[in-house]
Amino acid sequence: MREFLLYIKSGTEAVSSVQTYVTPSFSVDQSFWQERESCILHVIGKTSSLALAFSLREQINECIRKRLPERQKLTDGVVAELRHLAVGKVREASVLYGREMTDRERDDNQASWSSAFACMRQPPKDWFAWKVVEFRCEVHACQKDAESAGGYKIFSRHSLLRRTSLTADGASASVLGKLLDGRALLWEEIETLLCKRGVEVGDLAAVLHEGVLAGKVQWLPGVRMGVVSNWRRKRLVLFCERCGSEDRALQLIYCHSCEQGCAYCTICLGMGRSKCCTPYMLIASSASADIGREKGMGQPARLEWTGRYSQDQARAAERARRFVAGSHPGRSEFLIWAVCGAGKTELLFPSVAEALSSGGRVLIATPRKDVVLELAPRIRRVFPEARVIAVHGASAEKWEESDITIATTHQVMRYHRRFLLVVLDEADAFPYHNNPVLYRALARAAHETGKLLYLSATPPLYLQKRLVSNDRSKSASSAALPLASATHVLLPGRYHGKPLPVPEILTIKGLHKRVRTNRAVPQMTNAVKRSLDAERQVFVFVPRIDDVDVVLAYLQKAMPDRSEQMAGVHASDPLREEKVLAFRNSRYTLMVTTTILERGVTIPKSDVLVVGAEAPVFDEASLVQIAGRVGRSFDDTAGSVLFLQAERAAATKLAVRQISRMNQLAKKLAEAGGDNA
Amino acid sequence: MTIQSCVACGGHLNALQREGIVRKRARSLSSSAATYPVVYRLLQKLQVCAGCLEALPFIGEQICRQCGRDMCGEVICRDGLCRDCVDRASVPLSNNRSLLQYDEKGKSLVSLFKYRGDERLASFFSALLTIAIYRYHHTPSRFTCITTVPLHPTRLRERGFNQVELLAKALGHAIGVPVKTLLERTKATEKLSKQGGRVHREESMRDAFAWAQGAVLADLSSACSGGIARAKVKGGANSPVMSGTPLRVLLIDDIYTTGSTLRSCASTLRAHLGTVCEIYSLTIYR
Repeated sequence: MREFLLYIKSGTEAVSSVQTYVTPSFSVDQSFWQERESCILHVIGKTSSLALAFSLREQINECIRKRLPERQKLTDGVVAELRHLAVGKVREASVLYGREMTDRERDDNQASWSSAFACMRQPPKDWFAWKVVEFRCEVHACQKDAESAGGYKIFSRHSLLRRTSLTADGASASVLGKLLDGRALLWEEIETLLCKRGVEVGDLAAVLHEGVLAGKVQWLPGVRMGVVSNWRRKRLVLFCERCGSEDRALQLIYCHSCEQGCAYCTICLGMGRSKCCTPYMLIASSASADIGREKGMGQPARLEWTGRYSQDQARAAERARRFVAGSHPGRSEFLIWAVCGAGKTELLFPSVAEALSSGGRVLIATPRKDVVLELAPRIRRVFPEARVIAVHGASAEKWEESDITIATTHQVMRYHRRFLLVVLDEADAFPYHNNPVLYRALARAAHETGKLLYLSATPPLYLQKRLVSNDRSKSASSAALPLASATHVLLPGRYHGKPLPVPEILTIKGLHKRVRTNRAVPQMTNAVKRSLDAERQVFVFVPRIDDVDVVLAYLQKAMPDRSEQMAGVHASDPLREEKVLAFRNSRYTLMVTTTILERGVTIPKSDVLVVGAEAPVFDEASLVQIAGRVGRSFDDTAGSVLFLQAERAAATKLAVRQISRMNQLAKKLAEAGGDNA
Repeated sequence: MTIQSCVACGGHLNALQREGIVRKRARSLSSSAATYPVVYRLLQKLQVCAGCLEALPFIGEQICRQCGRDMCGEVICRDGLCRDCVDRASVPLSNNRSLLQYDEKGKSLVSLFKYRGDERLASFFSALLTIAIYRYHHTPSRFTCITTVPLHPTRLRERGFNQVELLAKALGHAIGVPVKTLLERTKATEKLSKQGGRVHREESMRDAFAWAQGAVLADLSSACSGGIARAKVKGGANSPVMSGTPLRVLLIDDIYTTGSTLRSCASTLRAHLGTVCEIYSLTIYR
């Protein structure tokens, strides 16, 4: 069991700061302070719950701040009082914890889906264990002791001893520093990482704590605990330091690791349990990726790309590059708003090269694993001398050092101030959209001077407001979208220069009932027939998983001769990947799908049909993405998009409006470009 | 806190859709009309959606009399035993019963619970155990006590919780039988998932358990209000209960794979409690 000691440090001089510290190994602190200054260390007590120790530290520090101006010096009387205060606070936390537990159980019992066995645990009397330690030690700085001969001998031997141990530790500390540079990991993760790398560190806690004292490492409890009080009552608040979720997202438990009340976060559970008693170590990247790079490994920033930009693409890429190169202090976010099929990935290359050449690391975060796997070889080809790793839940190279990291969203949580450039692909896609947890993780992964680059075809409103409307006042007409500003660039046209296919909306009364009862919907069957006869592939989007089979059965009945070429897929389909692959290889010509195929899948010569476009899952962004599946390749730039809805809906109209607006903008831009040329 | 969506697929819990399946399942799982209402209520509160509830691989009607294996498509040897049990001469365990077959979905759920540490699943699994007990042991109050397969202290500290204990506590609460810690682990065995081979497993489990120090059975019968509590018991922890009804201990675990763990536990219990006691085991997966 790990134990954490709480102590107060006060200087020996009259005017010196008094501070409270938490430590896993007191001896490290003692020798650390010995090297620097003479001071008195008053030990308050110890506990195995790190969250409790941190919360007490906060409260004691506050108390000291309030009380000390009158007395200046920390007397033993005050220390005794503070010890008393700590005991009281622990008892209070115990009571509040117990109350929170019973509150939650009561609420659960009211909720309809809870099981009958909520009251599984008999509450112990004290949720938290706190052991008061009355210990006081004076630490003298080494130089001072040198004055007295006797003291000199003792301490010189001591420091000699310590120094030899330090050099041994120093070697492992530097290895450790290299491994953990720019990462945010739970204690257990550090242990497994070291184990995997075969790095032996004698006393990991001591080595890391030295880093903490030196200010290189920041450490926090996995779950923070605090007490808030309003006029009515005090309440325990919990906060996951890793993902930032609060209160009910954290599950209260009796923990056998710290043998007291604990809490773990259910939101980021998939990445290991973040608990009250687990230290969470944040190590900001001290230097650039040059760590671990041997001489003669070449220039990672060398770009080997033979493709060519269209005029618009060149403009956007240059803008983005300038943003990355720029050193404006306030400007740390940039949005590339490019329509579906504009060639977003290629636009990144100059920016990535820019960041690499200034010696930084680059992170490309994307919502899905398949995109990571698809993107990694592409990037590797383009940057032949950079170290590129693909990081996802099951990847083996998760812990490698790299110049370019391509990661799924959740893996980003494991980085801390590591990257000079963080690129977020599909900023509006499922795990990111409206998810403060992931945005927080991204912002934290970037270096203090690092930049965030968002890529999206349909940026959510909050991003648009923050980044697009900056320069709206300057643009001629208020309704028009500005093509570029200091924080964004808009790319309204596709890379092949042809306009986006504009969807056609059809409202059919009782659409769903007709499909279910197998009555004719000629608009639907005719559209599908037309496409299939023209040897085109068809995406049929439906709002719900249950609709997949219904619509598939309907279409198969309507076109029995083609029924073998049709398939349906949804997120929890065990054959999902095989089916999508078969669709890509055109073994299937028609695929009924939920929104899972709305992004990322590009099939040349395809048409799109949405059945039930009025459903709330199809919002404006989603419909624009769906329409963007069509006409993406050079040899087939047109295609048909048909939205079938049972009743009129706003989203379909908005989607059509957005697409036509983009087309207009692109046209205008092309004309202007033509004039210039 | 409980999960408001299906634990298996994350889908929406639609009460209307579930109703029919819940009824059907409750009918097939309740052995008598008396247990139907309980089983029905348990199923109704189970946090799985209609599709996943229907897909839950319940073990069928025909099972091995000893180990509770589903005998559908298996060779039935003499006395209704399966081919593994028929070779065993004497088994310390009276019998084992399990509710579900251990398939891929079950595997991922168990790993989410045990290794990822999502303790919210405890209520789901304990509901399954309760259904199992009503299915196979019609009057659950006939058990003197419930006990669990213990976890090694190092493993417990590493994991932070004892998953089986959580289940046993909830089960004990649901059926009103006290939960006792009777055993402790003396050998830190390899993780089951990393052990290879049936023989090796049996070997490593031998003497892996011991009677827990300070475990008392004396207040057991007095604490247990129902069932055999009427039998007056005198004597300390070490003397087996001498009464008309034998001592019945229910051993809980999450998975029965080869049964070596449970048999080892049972023989330790038997060595301590004497031969009069009956030890039953109940697991979720088989």
